[in-house]
Amino acid sequence: MNDRLKDAAGKREKFPFLEGSRVLVVDDDDMIRDACSLSLSKEGCVVETAEDGETGLAMLEAFNPDLVLVDLKMPGMSGLEVLEEIQKRAPDVVSIVLTGFATIAIAVDAMKKGAYDFVTKPSTPDEIRIIVARGLEKRRLIMESKALKIAQEKIRRNMISLVSHELRAPLAATVQFLEIIIGGMAGKVSEEAMEMIGRSSQRLREMLDLVGRWLNLATFDPLRIADYFKPVDLSDIVGECVKAMGHVAGEKGIEIILERPENLHTMEGSREALQEVFNNLIGNAIKYNREGGWVKVRVFEDGDDICAEVRDNGKGIAEEHISRIFDEFYRVDGRRNAPIKGSGLGLSIVQTLVKAHWGTVAVESELGKGSSFTVRFPREGKVPRASKSARRSLLT
Amino acid sequence: MKNGKTILIIDDDEDFASALRKILATAGYHILTAGDAKEGMNVLETTHPDLILLDVMMEQYDDGFTMCSAIKHDDRLKDIPVIIVTAVTEVTGLKFDPATDGEYLEAEALLRKPIKPDELLGKIAELI
Repeated sequence: MNDRLKDAAGKREKFPFLEGSRVLVVDDDDMIRDACSLSLSKEGCVVETAEDGETGLAMLEAFNPDLVLVDLKMPGMSGLEVLEEIQKRAPDVVSIVLTGFATIAIAVDAMKKGAYDFVTKPSTPDEIRIIVARGLEKRRLIMESKALKIAQEKIRRNMISLVSHELRAPLAATVQFLEIIIGGMAGKVSEEAMEMIGRSSQRLREMLDLVGRWLNLATFDPLRIADYFKPVDLSDIVGECVKAMGHVAGEKGIEIILERPENLHTMEGSREALQEVFNNLIGNAIKYNREGGWVKVRVFEDGDDICAEVRDNGKGIAEEHISRIFDEFYRVDGRRNAPIKGSGLGLSIVQTLVKAHWGTVAVESELGKGSSFTVRFPREGKVPRASKSARRSLLT
Repeated sequence: MKNGKTILIIDDDEDFASALRKILATAGYHILTAGDAKEGMNVLETTHPDLILLDVMMEQYDDGFTMCSAIKHDDRLKDIPVIIVTAVTEVTGLKFDPATDGEYLEAEALLRKPIKPDELLGKIAELI
């Protein structure tokens, strides 16, 4: 028995995860099938066996196992092929390989194909029980985190529906009525009342805007947006954003400097989404700046990446805040009457949209000296082509 | 100042519909209202309005887009201009990107709630 098993076996501990768990054993050797079956049944496992890969896979759905023990060397379908199929059909099922010719290389290969662990043959009943018990613990963790994700998703959906119907709709209707009064369509109103109604409408519109932004973020589907991506020139898009922001910057006495190369490679993206990213980043650089400050926007290529940096010499961000600035509703100045208004959603929107473009966003900042946000995207043709399900798990 | 044109408002938010009605009435339009897409379709069985104001986020029907599509694929109705009215502000809103979304292109215009009265009347005057 190897070292990693000695301790556990020595203690003769109980195997809490074995009781009631469903284990499928796929092996062409009936001695092994019987040995596994016997040692696991003894601990309360429900065990089924299959003598080859095809039969094993057919039982996957019918038997619905928590864990599968797969022999690597079988006539017909190989153990590695079986592993790959299990990963595809039932990714939550934990697989453990049985190998009579254990070499590190084979074990590593099996792990790469999705196996959680391996048992070398011949093995004692205890070895099997210990390794299976560990595998079942892993299974329990997988299922728990899956249940949590489902619960979280349900809460998110309820929240979206609530915000949309109970918050946004009444706000929109209220502002619509106020607009009618402002438009003079509901008869004459005193000047003082008109001013109050105007302010009310303005405040409610700001609230609606916040609600709308949150809903956008909450309902955003990065995979769906990717279906609509087209080749775009980032330099072009950033240029437009700088131009659009020029007015606001000018009003605050802030200079925007744009540096961009000609003949930039294209990237795959949504023009609207990328505009949102740079409107937010450049907007922040202007907002959290100082009188006479500057914002430098630089588009460049770095290897296979298309990058854009937005740097300013404004307020900067204290170190303790940096790790949280991308969180929803997080604001560095969290006071209700913070002098600079914001929803705390801008950077989470940036991060979500950048990720949807297979990109990353990095920040460097020093309090009192300024900040720099660098966004990187793979250029067209260099986008990793992961499967949809793999991307989904990466993005959520 | 009746101008004789009829507008059908389809919106499940009664207050919002009543606000729209008020704006349109001041401009002399004749107004019909429906509380959901099904009711709207019933109205369209018997009448032929000059324009339809359609909310796309109603609870009852799947969604106003489906109804818009149904109108635009019905020979009897497809000539009626449709203005989609929505509180959705999706910035990356694929549904509302005319370049990428066929569903949106089927409507003649899109206005976001809340709507400035001038903007609404201007858009309607453009279309009918």
